[in-house]
Amino acid sequence: MSVSEMLKSLQDPMGVPFYPFVFQILLVLTFALHIIFVNLVIGGSFMAVYSYFRTGKYYRSLSKTFARATTINLSLTIVLGVAPLLFVQVVYDPFWYTSNVLSASWMIGILFVLMLAFSFAYVFYLKSYKEKQRIAIWGILSFSLIILAAIIMHTISYQALLPEKWFGWYVNNNKVNLYGAQLHAFQLPRFFHFVVASFALTGIFMMLYSWYFWKREDIDNSYIVWVGKTGAKIALIFTLLQMIDGVWWLLSLPVNFHFYTNYIFLISVSVAVILLLVLIKAQSDPERYALPLAMIAMINVLAMSSLREVLRMLYVGRYNYSLYNYKLNISYGSTALFLVSFVMGIIIVGYMTTVVFKMGRSSKPVDLSSLKLRAWSVYLMIAWLLMMIVIGLTITVNHIQ
Amino acid sequence: MYPVWQLPVTGSALVIAFIASFHILPSHLATSAFWFNVYIEDKAYRQNRPELLEFIKRYVLTILIFSFVFGSLSGVGIWYSTTVSNPKGISALIHNYVWGWATEWVFFVIEVVAIYVYYYTFGKVDKKTHLTIGLIYALGSWISMITITGIIAFMLSPGKWLKTGGFFDGFFNPTYTPQLFMRTSFMFAVAALYAIVVAATLKNREVKSFIIRRASLWGIAGTLLGSLFFLWYYKSLPDAAKEMADMTPLIPKIIPHIVIGSLIVLMIWFIFTIIKPDWARLVPGIVAIMVLLGGIFSAESMRERIRKPYVIDHYMYSNQIISNDMPAKQVKSNIADINTQGILHYSYFVPENLRDVNNQNMLQAGRIIAQIECSACHTLQANGWLRPLPKMVKKAGLGNVDDAQAFIGFLNAFPFMPPFAGTDMEKKALAVYLASLYK
Repeated sequence: MSVSEMLKSLQDPMGVPFYPFVFQILLVLTFALHIIFVNLVIGGSFMAVYSYFRTGKYYRSLSKTFARATTINLSLTIVLGVAPLLFVQVVYDPFWYTSNVLSASWMIGILFVLMLAFSFAYVFYLKSYKEKQRIAIWGILSFSLIILAAIIMHTISYQALLPEKWFGWYVNNNKVNLYGAQLHAFQLPRFFHFVVASFALTGIFMMLYSWYFWKREDIDNSYIVWVGKTGAKIALIFTLLQMIDGVWWLLSLPVNFHFYTNYIFLISVSVAVILLLVLIKAQSDPERYALPLAMIAMINVLAMSSLREVLRMLYVGRYNYSLYNYKLNISYGSTALFLVSFVMGIIIVGYMTTVVFKMGRSSKPVDLSSLKLRAWSVYLMIAWLLMMIVIGLTITVNHIQ
Repeated sequence: MYPVWQLPVTGSALVIAFIASFHILPSHLATSAFWFNVYIEDKAYRQNRPELLEFIKRYVLTILIFSFVFGSLSGVGIWYSTTVSNPKGISALIHNYVWGWATEWVFFVIEVVAIYVYYYTFGKVDKKTHLTIGLIYALGSWISMITITGIIAFMLSPGKWLKTGGFFDGFFNPTYTPQLFMRTSFMFAVAALYAIVVAATLKNREVKSFIIRRASLWGIAGTLLGSLFFLWYYKSLPDAAKEMADMTPLIPKIIPHIVIGSLIVLMIWFIFTIIKPDWARLVPGIVAIMVLLGGIFSAESMRERIRKPYVIDHYMYSNQIISNDMPAKQVKSNIADINTQGILHYSYFVPENLRDVNNQNMLQAGRIIAQIECSACHTLQANGWLRPLPKMVKKAGLGNVDDAQAFIGFLNAFPFMPPFAGTDMEKKALAVYLASLYK
């Protein structure tokens, strides 16, 4: 059996319930969301510890802010990771499943790594309010475990792209490796590209922080200015490093990919250059540039996420695998169910984000009861329930007949 | 077939069982807690009793940490563990129910955002807005239960789906409605138990007894209704599953007793806390939660067992071999192909020297076959925790190869066992391996 035949034989015989490109778009989109929070967790948990070791009142506040943000960001990272995890196994099931099984013990281990990382992050955060405690160890442990989790995830994703090596990893000297206790592949420049980006995005996050709290009279303005300037500096340095690492990664890719001629690659590079130029300009007045910079950075992440998908298509294309050829068994009903829920979700999350945004901008309690979306959020959910009841009753009546 | 993952002592299915059992606590708390929470917050505002709010703050923080870290990670963990233990099984579920899961994910995101917003806006936004956020959380988490129950119930009783392949035909299957009603009722009992635990730590005696009395009423209602719906659920089970439930080696007789016993203990606890709310303490409160979890765990494990020999009823066996044709989705059973090609050729991940069985490699080939076809439910080592093959061989008295081979030929005489799939030589190889385990 050739590698290409093996991949075909592993694809699910039932096919996919909607056109594969829709899953691909959702995969790229939700991965971008997920990785933004991954970046903020890596960068933020590092900054929490780093600032803790620096002296001065400002660094102390910054450490607390990042310690608290890390706990929230980690929860969001996990919940946002579920969607790409789901979509990748719809259209790339042979790759994802095999890679997981081959390092299964690590994949189970990552759960405990993350549980510990989170617990330590919480200890670090809660203790950071008590002065003069030796608490750095919790932050360091948490950060190290987060990096370990990143190494595992990187390996699983990268192994998935190398199906010709799977057999050798699984069967060695005619013996079968049942325990999945090894990590088999690692690509340093690719891994760095995720880690270095974390610091660039964390820097931009600091600029946004400064923009957001600019108008709060109860917060020391010189601190806010300092956070913005420090963030701008970090973002600039790491965007530069990210570009250097990008070149390294590009050079380490298989030559026959001709990746540098790919138009999505060229778009991504252009966006990155624009980001760099705006960052240079933003150094003197970070607060003013924070919002446009954040937008450009989002576009950049989205472009990188698309580029990652293009790269995956090139890797799997070597074995004549294309997700566009996946067998179809279209289910309009369930596709509509998701799309309706998705739009609803955006509205409701949008409402809640507005509430937090307005609350944080004010130093006093705010009255937001007149927001129109408040009632609508609840109505939408009730409408969703009614819709399911109607579908359920119709189906049940049909089954009885 | 995908490669096989096995841990030496626990096997792989038990890893799912451990993670899934743990998940029961945070997930049930996450879906249930806010109904009671919002109810009390509403009371606090309407009757102008700000002292009740102290309860709410305590109530939320535990859920925030416990459910949204350990709960969401163990939830993802169920997925990871099923992926690495039974990739074809999870693949079949995903390729039918991806939009169901994606829908659940939307509400999961809503839940996570809502609980953080709820916690951090406490006292910083107006009452109406804060209550609305609480209500969004409660509704969102209940909707995620509504969605996931459809998929869980589908695995046990796919109903019309087997004919039509339709998403909603499988979703609204014969055991769905009773299961959803049962889970929803017990959801209120869990909320009540948790409220009693939190309230037991409150200093204000008046608030304490008020909350405990209310919670106990919720608990009694939830437990009674849940038990009623449990009977309905049992009635709705497919006949084969009911037969399976009566089979002693498969379902230890103790399991149903644990389920009923835990319900009785709960009723006694709720009645006690209504009469003497002052006497409610932290430790017995936690014990009561554990008792309920013991009951839920037993019921869930029963649901998993009575599905045998299938992972998806009448579609796929536990060992990932597709058992039946499914014309609606143009899928053919794997068995005919495996019987002609041999499982060792059918599967890519097999050492080359074992692909063709001969007199020299029989024992090793038999071992690989056991890994592929048996290890989902049986550990290969004698000290394994999951129905170890050496013990089974001993029990069945398969001391020689001929007996073992005959036994393998009639495996499906046991209603909970899938048939052997493979060539005659492979059957012989498996028999050689099994007989070698007899000591």
